Amino acid sequence: MANSRTNKHAYVRYAVIRLIQGAITVWLIATATFFAMHNVPGDPLMDEKAVSPEIRKNLQAKYGLDRPLLEQYGIYLSNMIRGDFGISYAQENRSVNDIIREHFPVSAILGVLSIVFAALGGILFGALTAINRNRLPDIVIMFLVIMGISVPSFVFAALGQMTLVNVNAFLGVSILPVAGWGSVSHMIMPSLILGLGTMAFLTRLMRSSMLEIDNADYLRTAISKGLPPTRIFLRHQLRNAILPVITVLGPSIAAITTGGFVVELVFAIPGLGRYFVQAVQQSDYTVIMGTTVFYGAFLVFMVIVVDLLYGLVDPRVRLD
Amino acid sequence: MALLEVSDLHVEFAVQGGSVQAVRGASFSVNEGETLAIVGESGCGKTVSVQSVMGLIQTPPGRITRGTAKLRGQDILGGVAAGGREIRGTDIAMIFQDPMSSLNPTMTVGAQIAEPLIVHRGYSHRQAMRRAQELLEMTLIPDAASRINEYPFEFSGGMLQRSMIAMAIACEPSVLIADEPTTALDVTIQSQILDLMVDLQRTNNMAIVLITHDLGVVARMANDVAVMYAGEVVERGTVDDIFYRSAHPYTLGLKSAMPTNRQGAVQKLTPIEGAPPDLFDPPPGCGYYTRCPYAMEVCEATPPIVFDVDRAHQSRCWLHHKDCLQQVTQIYRP
Repeated sequence: MANSRTNKHAYVRYAVIRLIQGAITVWLIATATFFAMHNVPGDPLMDEKAVSPEIRKNLQAKYGLDRPLLEQYGIYLSNMIRGDFGISYAQENRSVNDIIREHFPVSAILGVLSIVFAALGGILFGALTAINRNRLPDIVIMFLVIMGISVPSFVFAALGQMTLVNVNAFLGVSILPVAGWGSVSHMIMPSLILGLGTMAFLTRLMRSSMLEIDNADYLRTAISKGLPPTRIFLRHQLRNAILPVITVLGPSIAAITTGGFVVELVFAIPGLGRYFVQAVQQSDYTVIMGTTVFYGAFLVFMVIVVDLLYGLVDPRVRLD
Repeated sequence: MALLEVSDLHVEFAVQGGSVQAVRGASFSVNEGETLAIVGESGCGKTVSVQSVMGLIQTPPGRITRGTAKLRGQDILGGVAAGGREIRGTDIAMIFQDPMSSLNPTMTVGAQIAEPLIVHRGYSHRQAMRRAQELLEMTLIPDAASRINEYPFEFSGGMLQRSMIAMAIACEPSVLIADEPTTALDVTIQSQILDLMVDLQRTNNMAIVLITHDLGVVARMANDVAVMYAGEVVERGTVDDIFYRSAHPYTLGLKSAMPTNRQGAVQKLTPIEGAPPDLFDPPPGCGYYTRCPYAMEVCEATPPIVFDVDRAHQSRCWLHHKDCLQQVTQIYRP
C-alpha cells in the first residue's frame, strides 16, 4: 500500500534519475557539436588577413589546434566540467563565460516571458473556444490560431514593430518602445511576438483536450454532486485538461529559446542568440561550443522541470 | 404520497435528420426508506430517465419534452428546485456504473468526498476532511485515515464504488439513485456493495432508485419494480407483483430468459426473439408488438394505455382491457 512517504521517496528517486539522464544528454550534445564543428571546412584563424604560414602555425600551436582531435576533445571536456568554456577566437579578450553571463539573462527573460504568455494565453483561449464551441468566439479564435501557427515569427516581428511605429506616431507619444532593451516596456512586444506561435499551438491543444474530457464520467459525477459550474470548471475540468498542455511545454520552451534570435535581431535585443549565429559564421569554436552546450543544458533542464511539474499535477506519474 | 414521483417523462435527443425518442412515457415513484428497481434491457431509457431527473443529460442535444419529477410534492425536474435551490448532492445523490472513471483522477478521494459538504453545508476544509474519513469508515474502507489522501488510481474498483457511495451520502440525501452500481464489479464485491447500500438505507431511512438488468439483484433489493421497454414503463408493481403476478408479456419474457439455480433444471433459457424498435422512428402501436407472442390486431397501430391490474400494480398492455377476449394464463388478471 502506498502512503505519502513512499510517494515522496519515489518522487525524489524519479527526479534524480531524470537529472542523470539529463547530464548524459548534455554530454552527447557536447560531443556531437565538437566533432561536427571540427569537420566543417575552415577554422577560426581563416578570417585573419594575410597570415603567413609561420604565424599561422604559431597561432595554431598557441590555441592548441595542432594537437590530435581526440586530445583537443579531452581538454575541452575537462575544462567544460570545471565550468570553463574558454576564450573567444574572434572577439579579443572575451571569455565565453563572460558572453553567456552578460547576454543569456536577456534571452532568458525574453524566453520565460514568452512561455508564460504562451501558456496563459493558450490555456485561456483554449478553454474559451471549448466552452463556446462552434459559436463566434470559437470561430474567430480558431482562425487566428491557424494564422499564428502558419505565419513565421519574423513576419509577426516586423508587423508588430511597424504597428508600434504607426501607433506611436498617431498618438504622438511612445506607448511602447519600437526596439531596444532595458525596461519592462521594452520586453512586452518582443515576448508577445516570440510566444505567439506557441500560444496558437497550445490553444489548439487545450481546446481539443477540453472537448475530449467534456463527456468524462467524473464531470457527470461533479454535476450530480450539485457543485457550482465555476468549481466544476476549475477543479474538475481545467486541471485534467491542462495535462497534455504541460507535456508539450518542454518542447515548446526549446522552440521558443532557439527561435528567439530572429526576434532578438529584429528588435535589437542584446541576447545570446545573436552571438550564437555570429559564432557559427566565424567558426569561433569556443563560442559555438559554449553557447550550444549551454543552450542544450538549459533546454534539458527545462524539460526535466516540466516533467517534475507534471508529476505534481498528475498523481499517476509520480510512482512510475 | 411518494417521496419521489416521476410522471409521464418524455425525453428526446436531436440527431442528424430528426430525433431519437429515448424516453416516451416513464412514470415511477419511490417511498421513503424503500427501494425501487428500474429494469429493462440496454437502451430502453432507464439511465436517460434518471439522468433527466438529475439534469445530467446534455441539452442540446437532449430535451425533456414532457413530464414532471416531484420530490415531496415539489417540482425538481432537472436537478433544481423552485427558487434555484440545488437538490443534487443534498436531497438526491447518484452513483454510477463505472467507478473507475467516475472519480476525478487528479483529486484525492478525500477531497472529492469532502466537496459536497464544503459546497452545500458550509464545512471548512478541515471539518469536511474529518467527515470524509468518517464516511469512508462507514463504507468499510480500511485505513480510512490514510486513504483519504490517496488518489483514485490507488484504489480498487470495489473501494472506488464504496468511495462513490461515501460521497453520495455525505449530505444525507433522502434519495440515492444507483445506476447499475455493480455491473462493473466482480460478483463477491457486488454482493458487498449491495449489502452496504441496504445498511446505509436502514440507518439513514434513505430511498434508493436502483437501475439494473440483473433480476437477481432486483429480487434481493427492491420493494417496488418498474419494468421499462422501448422508452416506456410497461409494468409497475411490488416486487412480488412483478415476479409472481406478472401482468405484461415483456415481463414474462424477461423471466423466462432468466437462468435458475434450481437443481435438476434441464430446460433451455428462452430468449425474447427479435430486437427492440428503433426509437428514431418508433412504431405507431405497442413497442413490443413485433416480439410479443400474444400480440393482437389492436396492438399494431394503437399504443396501449396503462391499466390498473391491482392496487399499485399497473400494466401497459391491451390484454387488460375489459373487452379483451384473449385469455393468456401466464398473464396475471385478478
